[in-house]
Amino acid sequence: MDLRQIWTLFRHEVRCALRERNIVIYSIVLPVVLYPALLWAAFAGISFVQGQSSRMTSRVVILDSPTAHSVFVDSLDANDRFDVIESDVDRAGLISRIAQGNLDALLEFTPPSEGGAALDGNFGLVISFNEARDRSASTRSRLEAEIEEYRLAWVDRERQALGVDDTVWADFLITRENIASSEDMTRFLLGVLVPMLTLLMVTIASFYPAIDATAGERERSTWETLMSVASPRANVAAAKYLYVAVFGMAGGLLNLAALTLSLQWILAPVAGEESRALATSGGIPPSALVVIAVGTALLGLFVSAGMLMFAVFAKTFKEGQSMIMPFYFLMIMPAFFLQDPDIEFTMQLALIPVVNMVMVIKAAIMGTSDPLLAVTSLGVMSLCVALAIGFAQWVMSSEEVMVGSQEGGLSKFLKTRFTNRKAQA
Amino acid sequence: MPEVRVRTEDLTKVFYDDGRGEVRAVDSVNITCESGEILGLLGANGAGKTTTLRMLATVLAPTGGNAWVHGHEVREAAEQVRASLGFYSASTALYPKITPRETLRFFARVNNYPKARLEQRVEYLIDRFGMESFSDSRVEKLSSGMKQKVSIARTVAHDPPVLIFDEPTVALDVLNAIELRDIIAKLRDDGKAIIFSTHIMSEAEQLCDRIAIIHHGRILATDTLDGLRQSTGHHYLEDIFVHYANSSGSDDAIGMVSDEVVG
Repeated sequence: MDLRQIWTLFRHEVRCALRERNIVIYSIVLPVVLYPALLWAAFAGISFVQGQSSRMTSRVVILDSPTAHSVFVDSLDANDRFDVIESDVDRAGLISRIAQGNLDALLEFTPPSEGGAALDGNFGLVISFNEARDRSASTRSRLEAEIEEYRLAWVDRERQALGVDDTVWADFLITRENIASSEDMTRFLLGVLVPMLTLLMVTIASFYPAIDATAGERERSTWETLMSVASPRANVAAAKYLYVAVFGMAGGLLNLAALTLSLQWILAPVAGEESRALATSGGIPPSALVVIAVGTALLGLFVSAGMLMFAVFAKTFKEGQSMIMPFYFLMIMPAFFLQDPDIEFTMQLALIPVVNMVMVIKAAIMGTSDPLLAVTSLGVMSLCVALAIGFAQWVMSSEEVMVGSQEGGLSKFLKTRFTNRKAQA
Repeated sequence: MPEVRVRTEDLTKVFYDDGRGEVRAVDSVNITCESGEILGLLGANGAGKTTTLRMLATVLAPTGGNAWVHGHEVREAAEQVRASLGFYSASTALYPKITPRETLRFFARVNNYPKARLEQRVEYLIDRFGMESFSDSRVEKLSSGMKQKVSIARTVAHDPPVLIFDEPTVALDVLNAIELRDIIAKLRDDGKAIIFSTHIMSEAEQLCDRIAIIHHGRILATDTLDGLRQSTGHHYLEDIFVHYANSSGSDDAIGMVSDEVVG
């Protein structure tokens, strides 16, 4: 291989690509601008909806409220978040109004159960609501929280009246303590976001260059021009591969950089005070950046080889898109399946290419890296990259494929190759 | 003293078609082309001209026979063959997003033109083909006449001794076609060995030193225009072509000629 020629061909591919609007948009602008912007929009949208929901008033009717608990009813009435409605309508009519969305919940005081009746003033409650309506479901949660608070205070008063000691009573209290720091919360959020976006960006950023370098050239009629230059075909194929791989890797890394830099801006609406901690902790842990960079590079090399293998058979841009699409979906599928934060990184997952890189990146961000799994994953992925490049090189070494006289796609090429070999044997 | 720069020996190309089976697109073709000579390859559409030239340019591999370009065998030394020739056809387009200057620089460099003299060569070509006014505009913005100049300059960027022009005037208007023929004639005067394929009789008459008549993949005759006239007793090339096509024994010869070969 003549490295000088490959460099000349590679520079030529990149120069043409950087002047192609679609490639610049999908491989550079999209990773840098659009996805962080979309994320920001999504987070801003979520916080807007949450804000709207918190300002919502819950319309409630209370039936059979005992005078002993009028304090509770009065407290609800005084609460801005509740609109306690006086109504003469019977129970069936109220349930019908909840179903229609004209009322959010019906609260009915009932006599306590047989065991509970021993305590004077004890009571039961039935909340009728409509789970199919968001406002009604939220009202149920609000009512439960208010009731729980009132119940605890009432029981506390009653146990004091009965002479139950404070220390004995304390044994029954449940105290919640969240040990996650703001940095842990950041890592958790990034662990879900970054692997998915990295894989998506690498795949999207490779997509157009792979078609442009093959079918695009044929459609523009520059393929034959390139085939008539003095450079060996292997050099042309190597330069095209480098071009696609560099754009794929750049897409992933640019997205990562943009995401890291805009972290505070994106997460501010939902993280509130936490966002300050995100900024000081730098978002992605520095120790994870190297792992992410290596993972992104391996993903770029693998995805590019795969895409070129399919696209090199296409004669037009449209044909190239349809030939690559199944491989494209196969590549991005792990991004969706592995979003579950509880999914465990096992040795089986470490042996599956692409999936293992997503998990390695996720573990590095969340600070749960297992050296054995990480090394196994990187080894498996490197082997797969070598195999993919070798296979792509074998496909592109075919005279018929390179000059465009091969009919059909990769499967027909393989069928023809193996049929001929069998016939020769 | 002219040297033989292109030589074929029973050059053959067989395609396999699902519907038609074995198709002999080029059948035992023997031609030569010397330095300072334009050899016209004259034939109807589908006669095998483009396939022959693509084999010479190593864009297609021969299935039989052999060919040599500037002493290099097309199968064994494909890179050297491509370094020794410039290939121009209606289907070899330019890169639209780069400028003529970048185009020439790229093709000279990738075809192994010495780096030390590269810029000098690029400037020479820009000057020679009159591209000063648009050498730094993107190719996509140029008129078809300007693009044609860039295409020819691209073909000769690495100063190859052999040039192949495959139906170069097929998509050009009359004025551009005349200009192109003038350029090709000047390149012959520079000592280039040129193979020029066409189905336009007048073009072959005006430009070519010798004419090879190709029909159904076979060369029926190769001679100077005067030699062909003497051999057939016909004055006009169209009549000469019909004479050979009919004598080749193919039933559809006259039909094809009247449909395709009227220049």
